[in-house]
Amino acid sequence: MPPAGIWIDGLIQSCIYMTMAFGMVLVFSILGILNWAHGQFYMLGALIVYYTITAAGIPFPLSILITGIIIAGLGILVKKIIIDHIEGDLYVGVATISLIFFFEGGASVLFGIEDKGLSIVLPGVLTLGPISLSYQKLAVIIFTLMVMTAMYFVLNRTKVGLAIKATAQQPDAASLYGISVERLSLIVMGIGCALAAMAGGIMAPVYPISPFMGGIPMIMSLLAIVIGGIGSLTGAIIGGIILGFLNSVIAYYLSYLSEVVLFLLVIFILLVRPQGLFGASLK
Amino acid sequence: MMTYIDYKTVVPRVAIALGVFLFLMMPVFTQNQATLSVFILIGLWAIAAMGFTLVLRTGQFSLGQSAFLAIGGYTSAILTVNLEWPFWPSFLMAGLISGMVALLVGMVVLRVGGIYFSIITLALGEIIRIIANQWEGVTRGARGLITSPPPTLSMGFFEINFNAGPIPYFYFTYCLVAVTAVIFWQIGESRLGRSFAGIALNPVLAEHQGIHLMKYRVIAFTLAGVFTGFAGCLYAHFLTVITPFVFGLWQSIQVMIMSIVGGISALVGGPIIGTFLLYFLGEYLTRLGGAGIQPLLFGAVVVLVLLFLPKGTGLIDLWGKFWTKVVWREKEFEFDEVEE
Repeated sequence: MPPAGIWIDGLIQSCIYMTMAFGMVLVFSILGILNWAHGQFYMLGALIVYYTITAAGIPFPLSILITGIIIAGLGILVKKIIIDHIEGDLYVGVATISLIFFFEGGASVLFGIEDKGLSIVLPGVLTLGPISLSYQKLAVIIFTLMVMTAMYFVLNRTKVGLAIKATAQQPDAASLYGISVERLSLIVMGIGCALAAMAGGIMAPVYPISPFMGGIPMIMSLLAIVIGGIGSLTGAIIGGIILGFLNSVIAYYLSYLSEVVLFLLVIFILLVRPQGLFGASLK
Repeated sequence: MMTYIDYKTVVPRVAIALGVFLFLMMPVFTQNQATLSVFILIGLWAIAAMGFTLVLRTGQFSLGQSAFLAIGGYTSAILTVNLEWPFWPSFLMAGLISGMVALLVGMVVLRVGGIYFSIITLALGEIIRIIANQWEGVTRGARGLITSPPPTLSMGFFEINFNAGPIPYFYFTYCLVAVTAVIFWQIGESRLGRSFAGIALNPVLAEHQGIHLMKYRVIAFTLAGVFTGFAGCLYAHFLTVITPFVFGLWQSIQVMIMSIVGGISALVGGPIIGTFLLYFLGEYLTRLGGAGIQPLLFGAVVVLVLLFLPKGTGLIDLWGKFWTKVVWREKEFEFDEVEE
């Protein structure tokens, strides 16, 4: 049985993968494309939070909100300028893959490639018997719970959320009922990118910040989506939880080989159940 | 009977032949080691990009082509260094084992197809890289295996000495490129190539016409694996060292981008053109200096190519347009507007 720290680490990782995978699935279900540069929005979010706190002195919660808004704007710009003007899913995929290099290179030019730390935010440790949990990690957990609850209410109780669900199921029928699919896809792209950016922002105090931090969360949330079933929001959440815990628990026993085990597991799941654990319930 | 020589097809072909001839005479003009090394590496990446394009022809999107470079390179390196085999048998084994892995993986994985195939090949590439990094006993981990160049070939009146410099590698590489190109080109022209295209266009219809989907997908994937394995073997022996860092997701993505920017309408020309231009761009940008400038501009160029050459008309299609529009000044055939 691994010590409690490993489980807490797994919980933190699953929070992040969950939030990112949720955004990717949301974008996928409306736009029909996988945004491969999602991890780079996460990275940009962390960098923006770092600079709003250290350079502008804005308090942490506010800076996360600001980051979300800025990156949502960036995501909408990407959608308007690039995704709308490229035909074919394959080529959109390639374009978003090359955006990875664009954003990573841009961030290295603008902010430098060295690691940055933001450990000054929320110092202190919460001790509960044998378990000790730093406030930074507690913030990640609370943030994820808040975001998931908020997304649940948005998707099930508001008009926009119902429109998103309707469009994901049947775009033509939805547009016949007066839903502007074009505007909705902009909103969804904004929400998805903002989720990734805010996840990056809330993680900024926990892990070192660098222009290349987005790659691993990106691959992991991709795998989470695949495990859960592409297009299923529940699947993204469950997949994120499974991957986060497995990653840290297997790493406790096998160190570097844990990734091999994870990849083999994903291949196995795909071969046995190609539609993923939760089928395609949303799409 | 009079035979017409259509100068409109002959002249572009002569231009291409002249270009290829001048390119192959390159070692006469320059003996510069750095320049020739760049061309050798371009040739090797072009083989990988051709393999990617062949797999893409069947509608499958492989994100793990660099895994086969790694398998080929490591097979040959382990055979020559650890088991002390001679070079040529291990060169053949590199292609064979790489093809075997492609065959086995393809037979299991191509059943699911689509985005799942992309993700499984991505996982495959990462698994190979991590194993190469961790299996210290055989692959020496991150320190890499030191390989030796191929032995000197003596053919009576002259001999090919691979130790002397990059020129023998240059011709060896481009022989391999030529063999790959001819085989892939013939595949594209034959019934096999048309079956591939049919599968990509409409799998359901193709299956109803009696084309066995799995069979053709596996054939394409295996062929790509074999030739990429050869390229990987040459890569390891040319650089004289093989480390896990040269083969990863970034390299697979590079192969994919080279192939798609070059244009996938041509099985051979597109990947080669794409590799040449993007590799030169990459080399040039590296010399500009400054961390991050290279990926920034690289990404921007690829996005611009995709924006301005829509629907997979990569750079190769500009070649035809260059002759018809700029040189012959033909009017393009246009459909009549349908009045509503």
